Amino acid sequence: MNKRLPVLLRQAAGLAAIVAFWQWAAAAGHLNPLYMPAPSSVAAVLIELFVGGTIWPHLIATFSAALGGLVIGLGVGSALGVAAALTPYLGELLEPVMIGLNAVPRVVLAPLFVIWFGIGLGSKVALAVILVSVLVFFTVFTGIRGVDRRLVERVTTLGGGWRDLLREVYLPSVTAWVLGNLKVAVGFAFTGAVVGEFVASTKGLGYLLSFAQSNYNSALMIALIVLIMGFVLLIFALTGWLERRLLRWRG
Amino acid sequence: MLRVKELALSYGTTPVLEGVSLEVPTGKFVSLVGPSGSGKSSLLRAVIGLEKPLAGNVTGDFDAGEIGILFQDDALLPWRDAEQNVALGLRLKGVDQGSALATARQWLTRLGLYGLSERWPRQLSGGQRKRVALAQVLAREPKLLLMDEPFASLDAIVRARVTGDLVRLVEQRGISVLLVTHDLEEALALSDTIYLLSHGPRAQIAGRYDVTLPRPRDPMTVRTHPDFAPLLARLWADLSREVGGRAA
Repeated sequence: MNKRLPVLLRQAAGLAAIVAFWQWAAAAGHLNPLYMPAPSSVAAVLIELFVGGTIWPHLIATFSAALGGLVIGLGVGSALGVAAALTPYLGELLEPVMIGLNAVPRVVLAPLFVIWFGIGLGSKVALAVILVSVLVFFTVFTGIRGVDRRLVERVTTLGGGWRDLLREVYLPSVTAWVLGNLKVAVGFAFTGAVVGEFVASTKGLGYLLSFAQSNYNSALMIALIVLIMGFVLLIFALTGWLERRLLRWRG
Repeated sequence: MLRVKELALSYGTTPVLEGVSLEVPTGKFVSLVGPSGSGKSSLLRAVIGLEKPLAGNVTGDFDAGEIGILFQDDALLPWRDAEQNVALGLRLKGVDQGSALATARQWLTRLGLYGLSERWPRQLSGGQRKRVALAQVLAREPKLLLMDEPFASLDAIVRARVTGDLVRLVEQRGISVLLVTHDLEEALALSDTIYLLSHGPRAQIAGRYDVTLPRPRDPMTVRTHPDFAPLLARLWADLSREVGGRAA
């Protein structure tokens, strides 16, 4: 911690300098508030969102979609990845489908999901699921195929069957790979939720962004971006903690 | 007794072993030496069942659960601490978790790892990891131990100590051993019988040597026994012939 503290202080000082410069430029009239409002205006909007209580239903909607999509996506991606890696026939079928899904920017599916699942929570969760599960599938699929054969042989020669292999070798390996990619998955889940809301919805941070855009409300847009960034960073910190705790054996 | 009879093995179209027969009598220490690439490890893998032989068979009066296997890689699960790794061997044999952990701790202590039970494999030195792997195998009380250059990666002092501990335990418990090694001195110091595998492909048993050095044996001091040097010279000459005089 002692070594990190000076780095953190320097980073905080750098950020503060940029914000101060931005505030000064806005106050001096160098920035058009229609496009680039002052940080103080953005902060005022943020405070108003929380004090007035407007933000809560939107936050809950986005978080429900993102976390729901994250959990389901992790489950679906891991299960398919394990099944495809351990069952060659299934692997042959699933791999091209996943490669196809990976080849397109999956957010293009958002309008289709609105038709399929409606403008409610379902279409947002579905988009987050498809974004997360393809990532997790490849992580797990390639990970299991590359699992240390010596460990597999060790458990086998100790008399372990496929259940023991799954529990003692594959699942811990999968956990390590998935946790290693959890931050990217969290980012994908929020992308899915917000983009889904942006396309069609009645609430959520994506909906608010769309609303702010149609009103040329730059301060609200920047406030929402800062808010999303803040929450995602908070979740990153939580996943980092989880990773350190569950992967202590890695050191 | 473990009996390998007329074993033939190939990798694809490349023949490796042909008509290999050897025996490991109960309670005896048998080593298999031979030129690099002759198929020593392949023979052991066939005995274990990791390779399917083309012909011949492997028979023995052991259950699968009574065979202990130790390879050059210690292959400890990195996400299990030392005692859990040792206990794993017992749990896979049907021992409940509590008893398995208690036995694991006893074996770790016996092998000089007292106080290191809760270390992750990455926190252990090469010698300590090897002892954990050895504890994992010995805790299952095997009747037959199959080893493929298990201590090759260790430095000389650590290797001598771990080998000494192994010999003591094998002698005390009457465990039968088949060891694959390229180290002739080690083979002589440890074994009752040594088989020499010929140069591949189609390697065969080119010689069998009975070692009559006294037991119990200290693998280090036995090297000063008057019978040791002549036997080593004979083995060395035969092995050199097998590799076409390139051994020197």
